[in-house]
Amino acid sequence: MTNENMNTAASTETQPSATADPTSEPLVEQSISVDNTSDRTTVDGETVIRSKDLDVFYGETQALQSVSLEIPENQVTAMIGPSGCGKSTFLRCINRMNDLIDVARIDGELTFDGKNVYDEDVDPVALRRRIGMVFQHPNPFPKSIYDNVAYGLRIQNRDVDMDAVVEESLKKAALWDEVKDRLDESALDLSGGQQQRLCIARAIAVDPQVVLMDEPASALDPIATSKIEDLIEDLAEEYTVVIVTHNMQQAARISDTTAVFLTGGELVEFDDTDKIFEDPESQRVEDYITGKFG
Amino acid sequence: MATPEQGIDWAGDTGQVSRLRGVAFEVTCLAAVAFALVSVLVLLLYVSADALRPFSADPGWHLVFFLTLVVPSVSAALFYYRRDEPAGEVAYATTGLPVVGVLGAAVFAVVLDIELVTAVEMFALLVSALVAAGIIAAHARYRPRAAAERMAVLFGAPVVTILGVPPAEVTMALNAALSALGLSIEFGVRLLSLREVILLTPVVPLQWIMVALSLTVPVGAVLGGYVARVRANPRAGLAFVGGAVAVSALAPLVGPVVGIGATGWILLVTFCLLPVAVYVEGVIRRREGIAGLTFPLILVGGVVLGALLADLFGFAPPDPWLDWSFLTSAHSRTPAEAGFYPPIVGSVMMLIVIALSTFPVGVGAAIYLEEYAPDSGLAGKFITLVEINIGNLAGVPSVVYGLLGLALFIRVLTMPTGAVMVGGLAIGILILPIVIISAQEAIRAVPDSHREAAYGMGATRWQTTRSVVLPQAIPGILTGTILAVGRAIGETAPLLMIGAASSVRLAPSGFFDQLPAMPRQIFAWSTNLEPEIRHGVLAAGVVTLLVVLLIMNGTAILIRNKYQREV
Repeated sequence: MTNENMNTAASTETQPSATADPTSEPLVEQSISVDNTSDRTTVDGETVIRSKDLDVFYGETQALQSVSLEIPENQVTAMIGPSGCGKSTFLRCINRMNDLIDVARIDGELTFDGKNVYDEDVDPVALRRRIGMVFQHPNPFPKSIYDNVAYGLRIQNRDVDMDAVVEESLKKAALWDEVKDRLDESALDLSGGQQQRLCIARAIAVDPQVVLMDEPASALDPIATSKIEDLIEDLAEEYTVVIVTHNMQQAARISDTTAVFLTGGELVEFDDTDKIFEDPESQRVEDYITGKFG
Repeated sequence: MATPEQGIDWAGDTGQVSRLRGVAFEVTCLAAVAFALVSVLVLLLYVSADALRPFSADPGWHLVFFLTLVVPSVSAALFYYRRDEPAGEVAYATTGLPVVGVLGAAVFAVVLDIELVTAVEMFALLVSALVAAGIIAAHARYRPRAAAERMAVLFGAPVVTILGVPPAEVTMALNAALSALGLSIEFGVRLLSLREVILLTPVVPLQWIMVALSLTVPVGAVLGGYVARVRANPRAGLAFVGGAVAVSALAPLVGPVVGIGATGWILLVTFCLLPVAVYVEGVIRRREGIAGLTFPLILVGGVVLGALLADLFGFAPPDPWLDWSFLTSAHSRTPAEAGFYPPIVGSVMMLIVIALSTFPVGVGAAIYLEEYAPDSGLAGKFITLVEINIGNLAGVPSVVYGLLGLALFIRVLTMPTGAVMVGGLAIGILILPIVIISAQEAIRAVPDSHREAAYGMGATRWQTTRSVVLPQAIPGILTGTILAVGRAIGETAPLLMIGAASSVRLAPSGFFDQLPAMPRQIFAWSTNLEPEIRHGVLAAGVVTLLVVLLIMNGTAILIRNKYQREV
């Protein structure tokens, strides 16, 4: 199998992106693709997560093929594509959730703040404390609302004013007004949309740098979805948000940058969202976006 | 629809699909259910009739109790069911709570009676534990940052206050080892613990005062704290504690009059009166189902009135084999005097050994297999093999486990033949696979999405297991364990193999005493020469054993229901 979107590698940036000079970002524009696939791997903005030739295998099956891209800081980056295209797999590589699957094998490089997260000296638990995650189905613990939000602070033994952080996180997740009088009640009594906002509050309570979201609205009704979408746009002011979604309109509405994965785990196009949706370089991306397949 | 229209083959007489085989299948299944239910029911009725001998009473006695007890209670139950469902729940709880409380009090009375733990030991242990907890709490408060020091205090404080430095057992083992080596040195110097100092005090208060201090006061304080919290009124809590102390202080007056002694009164207050008081307070505060509170009164009133009337008319009550003297005396050659007390105590003590030995090991194994063990590669294959063989071990006949117990505990570890400890450990190994499997199932039932959420928050595997998996799995684990233990106390074959005595006169007062067990005693009675023992006394024993099992299974079901309501 040939890697159609094989990129000539951008020079590895080893210093943390927070101190990196944005003008020094190498933009590689020489195309070697055969399928008029864009070979762009960067967009404007300071890079916080960079993958280079990332391959993921589940046993014999290859889930990602040589994916290279750079996710900009404090923006919303969307990953779209049909089922089984590897977008969730990519997301789970970032915080090493794939480590929990015995048969998963990862080749290539994925750096966060300039450090390869698959280096030997990286503790995945410590890494996940910097990168929050929100899942497809709302998964609050069967504990009280308060205990759900405080969970991360407790397991990390953070010496903070717990009440204040819980309140602030719930406010950021636009849930405070709905639950402030019943923080002691079970989180399972909330509606699906409220549960998902609670999960977001839980994720941001420990003040991560990046929030990963794996189809956070796919199990919700349209009204709850629009609340989550508003919330995601607000979150991008403080956090780098990477969101996987099935819903192309959603990606178009909320993201600044979009990565399109297509069948077989290849990254076909990565660019500003406007560019992807208005004038994609690849014919396959255009077909997918206009609904001809996928 | 006599004549179907042309071309329609899905209506009319000819347009029906045959259901004959389906109906036949359904009837067969129903017959199987009916057969199983009826055979169990007949067995139970047969045994209960032998044990309780209801027909030895005058028909008039039955009539009186039918009118005073059955009719009022059944009509009350119907009223709750039809008109006032919350009252039905209240009636159920206010009737059940005292029963459970009396059982708890009875267990403690037996513990004190056989001197498994004496009142002064209980008191000394409680005081020392409180002092240790105080030291730990004070350290956590004044030096919250010193983590290593905290660990030292956490382990050190109980050693100093409860065990002594070094613990007496360590000194004994050391001296035994030294004398085994042929050395005549003895370590006699050790710092006595607070507990041992209290035990050495020559003057001790009366038994009931010590029981009140070590049981009623803590229970009263906990329940009082609860009352204060739900009423949002500290005075209500204080009033509750004050009431508890006042009722306890009546012990030397009331106890002997009622016939249970001062200590019995204290136990009854602690386990029965205080919890019931808290529950009744809650019902009245919520003003829901207050009518249900009358149900226990109806029951007690019915029994008292029935007894009075039967006495008045001269109706003879039944003479059951299963009566108070049966539950409180030991086996005798005279059927009327034969009792079941030592086997009940022995079985309960064995149950404690079984629970304490299997629960930690079984749950630990299940946690490892579900949460930690690799599930792929060569190691994963090995783990699968282990799991399959745990399933196989659950099917090994109990007589084989008895043989294992004989070889391991009596021959190799030289424990006394037929001791409580040996029986408990042998049967513990027998149910270990069942405990592991049911705990595994409970752990597996925790949704993976909760584990993912915890890992995604940066929880370690241990934090995920402790704070997410176990809290959700514990009710299922407890249910499985209780059912397995219930199965275990009926086991007879291992007891025969480890040489448990057929009849023991005295209830064991330690875990290395001779084990009298309920099924072993029943087996012995089945070959007794006296026909009345073979039929009547044996049946009474069987019913007692079944009631104990019923209580355990009921507890398991209650735990499961509570858990299902919460999730």
